[in-house]
Amino acid sequence: MKDVNFWRELVKRIKIYLKKNDFEIIVIESNSELTRFAQSYIHQNVAETDLNFTLKVINKDRISIVEINSIDEQVLSKNIEKAIELAKISPKLDYHYQLVKPQLYKIKSKYSEETANFTPLKRAHLINNLIKEVNREGYEAAGAFKTETIAIVIINSEGVFAFDQGTKVDFNGVITKDNSTAYASFIDSDISNFNIKKITDELLSVAFKNVDQVEIEPGIYTVILSPEAVASILDYTAYTAFNGKLIVEGKSFFSANRRKKIFPEIITILDDPLDELTLPIPFDFVGYPREKIYLIKDGVIVDGVYDHLTALKYNLKCTANTLPPESASMGALPFNLVMKGGEDNIQDIIGNTKKGVYITRFHYVNVLNPMSVQLTGMTRDGGLS
Amino acid sequence: MKKVLEEILDYLELKVNYADIRLVETESENIEVENGILSSYRVLNNKGVGIRVLVNGAWGFAASNNLDKLSLLKTATKALVIAQASALIKKEEIKLAPEDKHIATYITPIVKDSFKVNPTEKIDLLVKATKIMLRDKVKKTEGLLNFYKIQKTFLSTEGSHLEQTIFTSGGGIAAYAIGEKDFQTRSYPSSFGGDYATSGYEFIEEIKLLENAERISEEANQLLFAPPAPEGIMDVVLGGSQLALQVHESCGHPVELDRVLGKEISFAGGSFLTLDKLNNFIYGSPEVTIVADATVPGGLGSFGYDDEGVPASKTYLVNRGEFSGYLMSREDAFKLGLKSNGAARADGWKRIPLVRMTNINLLPGNFEFDELIGDIKQGIYLDTNKSWSIDDKRLNFQFGTEFAREIKKGRLGKIYKNAIYQGITPEFWRSCDGVSKQEHWHIWGITNCGKGQPEQVMQVGHGTSPARFRKIQVGASQ
Repeated sequence: MKDVNFWRELVKRIKIYLKKNDFEIIVIESNSELTRFAQSYIHQNVAETDLNFTLKVINKDRISIVEINSIDEQVLSKNIEKAIELAKISPKLDYHYQLVKPQLYKIKSKYSEETANFTPLKRAHLINNLIKEVNREGYEAAGAFKTETIAIVIINSEGVFAFDQGTKVDFNGVITKDNSTAYASFIDSDISNFNIKKITDELLSVAFKNVDQVEIEPGIYTVILSPEAVASILDYTAYTAFNGKLIVEGKSFFSANRRKKIFPEIITILDDPLDELTLPIPFDFVGYPREKIYLIKDGVIVDGVYDHLTALKYNLKCTANTLPPESASMGALPFNLVMKGGEDNIQDIIGNTKKGVYITRFHYVNVLNPMSVQLTGMTRDGGLS
Repeated sequence: MKKVLEEILDYLELKVNYADIRLVETESENIEVENGILSSYRVLNNKGVGIRVLVNGAWGFAASNNLDKLSLLKTATKALVIAQASALIKKEEIKLAPEDKHIATYITPIVKDSFKVNPTEKIDLLVKATKIMLRDKVKKTEGLLNFYKIQKTFLSTEGSHLEQTIFTSGGGIAAYAIGEKDFQTRSYPSSFGGDYATSGYEFIEEIKLLENAERISEEANQLLFAPPAPEGIMDVVLGGSQLALQVHESCGHPVELDRVLGKEISFAGGSFLTLDKLNNFIYGSPEVTIVADATVPGGLGSFGYDDEGVPASKTYLVNRGEFSGYLMSREDAFKLGLKSNGAARADGWKRIPLVRMTNINLLPGNFEFDELIGDIKQGIYLDTNKSWSIDDKRLNFQFGTEFAREIKKGRLGKIYKNAIYQGITPEFWRSCDGVSKQEHWHIWGITNCGKGQPEQVMQVGHGTSPARFRKIQVGASQ
């Protein structure tokens, strides 16, 4: 992975090709390795190294974007020239495009040297521990175990230079025996926090309960959702309701309901890069510093999140939720979605429920009605009465 | 570059049971317009090499964008190290179904190279179409065009050397009619980005975006004030675009042999079409014949060779209602004692080939569209996908559509909004009693088929013509 000095030097060199044009550069460099297992053996095992260099040239509100995955000087100069020429023939925007000014960044991505250097052999050993244990109970294991390092660089002609590097561990596993299944997952920046024994125990504990299933009649039930199941619903709510672009276009239920108390007071949802359980990045993809944004507070709808383009177009404040250029037309999404925990523990919630269903996770959730955020989907790997 | 790749293969040859190298370069052009204003113009060039090795009966794969010889040697060595780690936990030696050595070149036949068409002409087309659609309650319109040129070199230790150039063109328009508490979308030619083909710019000219813009806008306006679809069990005619999604989800995915063998169980899921059902299961009515055909001209899943170097082919998946075949890679075909039918595809240089759909086509029947409708007393016509959900065995599904029309006494009637329908895959296909003729048949290109970890997004095709299904549960979302 290239360090901050490499990118400073590169920008100095390529400025000559950019002439006097305004520009934004977004670089995402990644080293990613993933081991996949099924039926208790490794069936796919892969590694990839890549770099995405995106150049946006702005010429009097005419914009072009060129993306390449090489920083070879010849490739860069040729593509910079292409971007400059394309910007000249692009139709003008219907608003003034302003570049972000230099900012201060208080947050850093979480980085672990041990995660960055984790080897395929070490991943295989941990997977083997899980497989041995669940095989002893007659179960087969399947899942994926990823370790990766990602660096993001944002540079523009107004003087923004932002560099950040983080690591990620992403594990998910399923165990199966006849009709009994269980699912568990883990995400963190640091492999030293990954405890395969704990994951194995969690899988077996759910699987032992998930036996002798009975069908239930369609109807209205009290449901208790696992954190994973709640996260699925939040993901789709973010996509359809929290996106500021949809709000200003009148395509979100937030559009007509801001400042209204729609939910019980226990519901507080925010985009929070400071929450210790999330994996934050310091800035969005134009260089605004990430900050805490309330979406729903004590049951009251506050507002959504806004990207740079929507904010410029509608004269609003960007909430540092700008997506990379390939997703920019979508609008904005929260990067660190958090639903605040309440006072009760899960045992109390279950204890207070006379009859209901505990749902471990959903499968294939999709949006039926984006305005009401009516979703459809199936349950998977255990609904417990 | 070819010489360097051959040297890497020579380096690997004595260390592996098998190895292949794929060099892939993708050029693409993406144009997005909203309400008559250009919102994004992007061009992309992406190039890299993926190296796959089979060592001691276990797989390793490494990919890199660094293409000098030293970097490629490092990438090859990494693939070997990964294979050694895989071999730690193996069930049996992975073996590949036999395949002939192929030395060939394939280029998508095109009339007009999309990359040689002036960008201004393409932008203007979308500017005009999105302006036409802005009327009455349609306050938001979108237009999209995407063009790809993918050049692939494939070399294997079995001596195959393939050069392929695949051209893809496509796009679409969408109108959003927005009310106070509701909005309705109407897309053309299809939803979620439009329609795509392996083709040059002639495909964009054929889909006639400008000519359809006014109708689409009018339908979006009508949908906003339309009643919700009625609830009940009724006869349904699915339009070609929605039927493409139906084929994709309830036939294309369950016939993927890797799913059947349990390799996707932790993520995408399994399949109800288990091995015991092959040639021994009534999947649908005799009206239903579904093929996987990567040889059909223009299909988005058409190519010369798959990403394991197996020639494109045509396989009967469902033959007059009987389940008769799977989509296979070389590894999975070996387990059934068969040869691969060329369905192992990777979405670029940095991902491994997985079992993927090619063009999964419902073959045309003998009915005129009017005959399908004409034989229904009370029913509903549904088209253009809005929502899809199906269980991990691909049995229970619920799909929603953008557009619905009442069918009453053999004629199309009023428009309904928010229609959904449900079913169980084999029961649904067994209820099919009519598929319309060749002249209504079209191969729809779908660009967003996701599978695998890390996720790969594949471009696939589905040939369909409208078809009739009896006694289907229909309702409306709220």
